[in-house]
Amino acid sequence: MKNLVRMKILIVDDDPGIQKLIKNMLAKDGYKNIQIAGSGEEALEMMKKTPPDLVVLDIQLPGMKGYEVSQKMRANKSTAHIPILMMTGGNIDKDKALEKSFRAGVTDFITKPIKKVEFTARVKAALTIKKNYNLMQKEPNKRKLSKKVTKKKVWLNILPDDMWIKVQRGMTVWNALQNTEIELEGDCGGLGKCGKCKIRVITPLGKPSKETLELIDSDELEQGVRLACRTKIFKNLAIYTEELNGETEFFQILKHGHMPPVELAPLIERRLVTIPPPSIENSLSDVHRIREVLSPEFHDLKTTYRCLSSLYKNLRTTNFDGAAIIHNNCLLEWQSRDNIGGVFGLIFDLGTSTLVGKLVNLIEGQEVAVISRFNSQRKYGADVISRIQYIKGSPKRLVHLQKLLVKDLNLITKRLLESFRLKLKDILVAVAAGNTTMQHFMLSLDPSGIAEAPFTPLITEGMTFMARDVGLRLHPDAMLYVMPAKSGYIGGDLIGFILSSGAAEQDDKLVLGMDLGTNSEIFLGNKNRMLTCSAAAGPALEGARISHGMIAKAGAIESFRFEENDLFYNVIGNIKPKGLCGSGLVDIAALLLHHGIVNPEGLIYPPDQHKKRNSMTARVIQTQENEIHDFLLASPRDSLDGKPIVLTQKDIRELQLAKAAIASGIKILLKTMGAGIEDIDDIYLAGALGNYVHPFSAMRIGLLPKVNPAKIISLGNAASTGANMILLSKRYWERSAEIATDLEHLELSGHADFFDSFIEEMNFPTENLW
Amino acid sequence: MSYQTLLDAVIKGDIKTAKEETLKAVDASQNAQDILDQGLIEAMNVVGDNFSKGAIFVPQMLRSAKTMQECVEVLKPHFQENAMTTKGNIVLGTVKGDLHDIGKNLVGMMLEGAGFNIIDLGVDVAPEVFVDKIKEANADVLGMSALLSTTMPSMSLTIKALADLGLRDTVKVIIGGAPVTRKYAEDIGADSYASDAGAAVHETKKLLNIT
Repeated sequence: MKNLVRMKILIVDDDPGIQKLIKNMLAKDGYKNIQIAGSGEEALEMMKKTPPDLVVLDIQLPGMKGYEVSQKMRANKSTAHIPILMMTGGNIDKDKALEKSFRAGVTDFITKPIKKVEFTARVKAALTIKKNYNLMQKEPNKRKLSKKVTKKKVWLNILPDDMWIKVQRGMTVWNALQNTEIELEGDCGGLGKCGKCKIRVITPLGKPSKETLELIDSDELEQGVRLACRTKIFKNLAIYTEELNGETEFFQILKHGHMPPVELAPLIERRLVTIPPPSIENSLSDVHRIREVLSPEFHDLKTTYRCLSSLYKNLRTTNFDGAAIIHNNCLLEWQSRDNIGGVFGLIFDLGTSTLVGKLVNLIEGQEVAVISRFNSQRKYGADVISRIQYIKGSPKRLVHLQKLLVKDLNLITKRLLESFRLKLKDILVAVAAGNTTMQHFMLSLDPSGIAEAPFTPLITEGMTFMARDVGLRLHPDAMLYVMPAKSGYIGGDLIGFILSSGAAEQDDKLVLGMDLGTNSEIFLGNKNRMLTCSAAAGPALEGARISHGMIAKAGAIESFRFEENDLFYNVIGNIKPKGLCGSGLVDIAALLLHHGIVNPEGLIYPPDQHKKRNSMTARVIQTQENEIHDFLLASPRDSLDGKPIVLTQKDIRELQLAKAAIASGIKILLKTMGAGIEDIDDIYLAGALGNYVHPFSAMRIGLLPKVNPAKIISLGNAASTGANMILLSKRYWERSAEIATDLEHLELSGHADFFDSFIEEMNFPTENLW
Repeated sequence: MSYQTLLDAVIKGDIKTAKEETLKAVDASQNAQDILDQGLIEAMNVVGDNFSKGAIFVPQMLRSAKTMQECVEVLKPHFQENAMTTKGNIVLGTVKGDLHDIGKNLVGMMLEGAGFNIIDLGVDVAPEVFVDKIKEANADVLGMSALLSTTMPSMSLTIKALADLGLRDTVKVIIGGAPVTRKYAEDIGADSYASDAGAAVHETKKLLNIT
């Protein structure tokens, strides 16, 4: 009801008395958006500007009659779907008027004198139809994603629960949280008086409001504490809702991706259908009559046992007018039109360290909520190889890892559904994408072959299962799609990346794609030929094996810049730094090269050999007695734990190894393709590092080939975007299988050119870029 | 005679100067073995140390190793009856199930530079292949590399295979690779562990009591 009162109602009547009467009745029921037209012509004119959600139309109008207005509305695409409630005077032939009205396309019918109770009910029914229409259009597959809708909404990330919700731009945090399970303290109901709804804003923010200044002390303000009810959300915002303490941590995990326009044809289709009730003339079985109505589109529709066992009752409680939920030409459920089942689908991004779940509205084609959690399998090894070693020869352990994963996914699902008050049975489809090993784990398939040469997985094809067979708690007949992979190290996540980049659809553009990490997957090509390889970059880019390296979480320096003769940095979480993460490492290395403090061979020069002397020179320090120098990033005074943060000579060496592995992978792909760097048209980056790394810095150190920076595009969490595309448009499911089949995989270890190319790429480029 | 210019040229990786200096030394009737030991090998010792502490990196180390190889080619005809003495025979390989060979190759080059004779079996080497070669070459040292934690156990299997044939005491075993640790080396009964190519030379010399 809350949603209905904001819907637009247009009253069309020439009698000012009736106009007023209807308007008062509507206002009494809480409707706020009422317009009045004195004639049919005026009404049609008004509809052109702002189409209403309901037209209350008098049958007898001067000039254009009610029937004609209705016919004209139905003939026009932009008004054809607007419900019309036709009012008739008591003095006309009711049956004839009824027939004529319905033939002209009116939705419902009410006779004057109008009774309030009846009017209320009919208006509500008509508006509900419109609301459902808005939610699920009859032919959604013809519609492209609306860019405008996406723009008006922004993401709110609520920590430590790490819930992501999409909210209207300009909404306050307080209001946004009202729809969630998260409860903030507060006595004043969001009026900005009690000062209790404190949150900590993690994303950089502007000036606090007047009330905030009065109610929060300056120490807290500096730490980013704000009042939820006074904080409006204008851009993607991360907040922390619990009592703050020193242990407060949050992680920069990438969940969002760049989504290309998709023609909606979801894996699960929800069709609003009216089937004729059984009659003497049509005594075919219930299933036959459903099949008949749906036959133009769904040939020889099948159904499930579970669906059949409740079909008799469901058809009758909905008066044969309901929603058919169909998967792959099979009717999974018949439910009432206002039920929400089948409207949403799920995506699981199976990362080795982090799992991300997304709730997607299949009708509107939009992600509406995202939640992540650490992969509980982490305690059995940080990387897939160690986990494979753990399960080796022990089927019991494999089952254990699978159960852990499914438990995580069920928890993610539970929380995603909570935020929209959905039930498990409302979800009928999920798509999972991960690296080949994680996809094996999810299905309890033994991935041991992947851990040793020749790195052979059990299966690479995409698979469709009953979600319940895997242990996912969704609708009992829900389907699980698991992405196709190419090889042991080219998994469904990379196929999702290629899919979302659109590279495989390009005719003549040459596209390079990279998912940077411990194992960096790289692809190069287009529709005609697509090459891929996996480069063992080692964990340096994820902060491991670096003296003060850390993963991208609170306290990590994520970027550096040199301005006005001084070095500045940004720290995740707006606190003092504890270390640096991958993007920070790349940034500082680029700056040191730029200022000639590190030479192209990777040596940190002692201060007396610096060509330019600036404030950077003073940061070069000698910590050991062996002529080796390190670089001071933050002094004890500036760091979180009072210890210096240093980039060592050894750290530069680790970065050189990582960079060399990736750069030589690119080089070998280019050579195999018979192309050069100048032939690359677009470079797509996926994953967290790809999203946060500064393209100029990456090019300066030679991690990325030197191209026009406009060619470098970050796609964010591209694996899940690919999964999302499949969820929303089934043709991408087939497309992903084709992409996987057509991919040519190059194994770098043992490749004839790899050794030379790897050694060559260990040096940094000599040229400065700015 | 001082080999300082030759030393500097090898350390810098200046092939042209190094070759010239080698020829000069030969012309000055220096003993070929002396030139090798006090000039080239000595230079590679410095290179190894520089690499271990981070002052130079792989490309620079390889450049020096290449310089040394070229100089050895110049020297070869001048050894009496071609009898260049080796400091020992080393069988080297990446273990079964593993195809990563870059680290192993670097170790091979540095050991060669230090005056050892290298028998490189390549990648994906099964325990029995290692054992056969050790017997055949009468090896002093076995060096094994693994980059995947899943293939590490193959190192232990090779050591076991050596023991089963009563060969364990005839050969020193040294292991390395990204996931390998000194502790792991101790656990599986290897004689030593090396974290990088420089350390590999150092540890090998220690095992064979070479100063």
